[in-house]
Amino acid sequence: MEFNETGKPVVQLKNVTKIIGKRKIIDGLSVDLQEAEVFGFIGPNGAGKTTTIRMMVGLISITDGDVIIRGQSIRHDFEKAIRHVGAIVENPEMYKYLTGYQNLLHYSRMVPGITRQRIDEVVELIGLKARIHDKVKTYSLGMRQRLGIAQAILHKPSLLILDEPTNGLDPQGIRELRDYLRKLAKDEGITVFVSSHLLSEMELMCDRVVIIQNGQLIDNRSIRQTAIPDTEAQRVLFEVDRAEEALEVLQGQTAGLYQGLLWVNADREEVAAINARLITAGFKVYAIRVQNKSLEDQFLEMTGGERIV
Amino acid sequence: MFNFWQLVRNENLKIYSRIQTWFMIGFIVILQIGLSALLKFIPSEFEPISWAAMFEQTYILFFFIAIFTVVVAANSVANEFSSGTIKLLLIRPWSRSKILLSKYVSILLFGLLLGAIMFVLTLGVNLLLFPFDNSNSVVHESFGSVRDMRPIEYILLYYGNKFIELVMLVTISFMMSAVFRSSVLAIVLSLLILTSGMGIARILFALGYEWVDYVLFLHMNFVPYLDGAPRKEEFTLPFSMAVYGVYYVIFIATTWFIFNKRDVSS
Repeated sequence: MEFNETGKPVVQLKNVTKIIGKRKIIDGLSVDLQEAEVFGFIGPNGAGKTTTIRMMVGLISITDGDVIIRGQSIRHDFEKAIRHVGAIVENPEMYKYLTGYQNLLHYSRMVPGITRQRIDEVVELIGLKARIHDKVKTYSLGMRQRLGIAQAILHKPSLLILDEPTNGLDPQGIRELRDYLRKLAKDEGITVFVSSHLLSEMELMCDRVVIIQNGQLIDNRSIRQTAIPDTEAQRVLFEVDRAEEALEVLQGQTAGLYQGLLWVNADREEVAAINARLITAGFKVYAIRVQNKSLEDQFLEMTGGERIV
Repeated sequence: MFNFWQLVRNENLKIYSRIQTWFMIGFIVILQIGLSALLKFIPSEFEPISWAAMFEQTYILFFFIAIFTVVVAANSVANEFSSGTIKLLLIRPWSRSKILLSKYVSILLFGLLLGAIMFVLTLGVNLLLFPFDNSNSVVHESFGSVRDMRPIEYILLYYGNKFIELVMLVTISFMMSAVFRSSVLAIVLSLLILTSGMGIARILFALGYEWVDYVLFLHMNFVPYLDGAPRKEEFTLPFSMAVYGVYYVIFIATTWFIFNKRDVSS
């Protein structure tokens, strides 16, 4: 396992399966979510992201397996399990004929112990104070998105589930959301579960991502990787004046040409040695850098280049 | 259980925040006053007593109250689905059964409210405008019943029966709303029963089917027993209540079962 955090997971998906008719929509999905983790749930449209989320919050039945939230089964102890969950499923659909405040009041009445003070606090937090007493039908999509987040965090959940939260947000809004979610996770210890098909977005937002395709988990990885060990070979790009000739000098190395650059598989020490060799041989070395594959590159590699979006 | 009232408050908030609800209430008020005014100020040879006016108007107003309550019932569940708000409503620490019950209770409360408005207005306005006769003979002469009782007793029993009928109409509308998630279907079907239920029963009656005795439309309320004129000689009050009760239980069970089982997707 690349993940070895101690402590009991806040949420466990255990072999979650959904069969509709004869079609397996979700096929034995198992994932553990740790406390205070921003968790990305990635897959192409139709991969089963929303179906999984709906099962996690009890909107649709689970054919097989279970979702355990803070030790409570969503199937057998729904009311106890869901108490720890705040969510937006797909679009943040609120009662349009009520004001933002009335919407929050409505949800606050459904969980004991939410005071008016807490509502005010949340309104302040999401920055909707000026418009909170206006009817929701006058809100922009971004404002509805924020109100959606407000209703999801009103009862201080341990798990916050957001389905495609960046949909309809402008770049500024996305950035704010990103910072805010990271803050929630860090300061309040909330586990945030975010689904998206926007890989670059997830890469910036999440600590860890799982990738699903056709209802199956195909990858589960940490994003904020702890520094790669020095002894591990990586693909390193050298920008030199005569790349083709330089390649000949590096006989015996796993190396090649890439867009006019010279690439070599080498660990940290070898990189220094290669650099020395090139310089000794009279090449000009302008730049050396590790070729980081973006999540998107990795994703496309894994899903066999299937188009996302 | 205290907290259950909070759910009902939520449903009330949703009902009374809509303009259509206030239109309905306003319509009942204006219609009642209008009917009394017509009766009073249009020249006629004979002036009704207040009880008779109240009884006639209740008959007309009930029709609209039934329509309005059925519409509210139809919208109650179907609108949550069509607007997508059902998703955020169901992911709270409440069972679906209780959420559904809170909706049902709030609709019945709305029906009671309209009924109370109708009662107060038809009684108050007509007492003001028309001569008052409180003898027991009114029950026979104005209400067409064989009972020997005070007019107010008869009126209260009549209202009780109309409420029983309203409950059944609402329950049917609510069931359609929860099962098919379509308010239009729920409204159309309930109003069809309200307007043509008796007619359909009469046709079946005439055709002489034996099972016609168990058709719900003949047992929507128990006014015939109050008037001493059952729809069919062999019918008794307990029989009608039993038929009503069986239908009621089936409708309620279907509504709750389907709502609890339903996958909320799309």
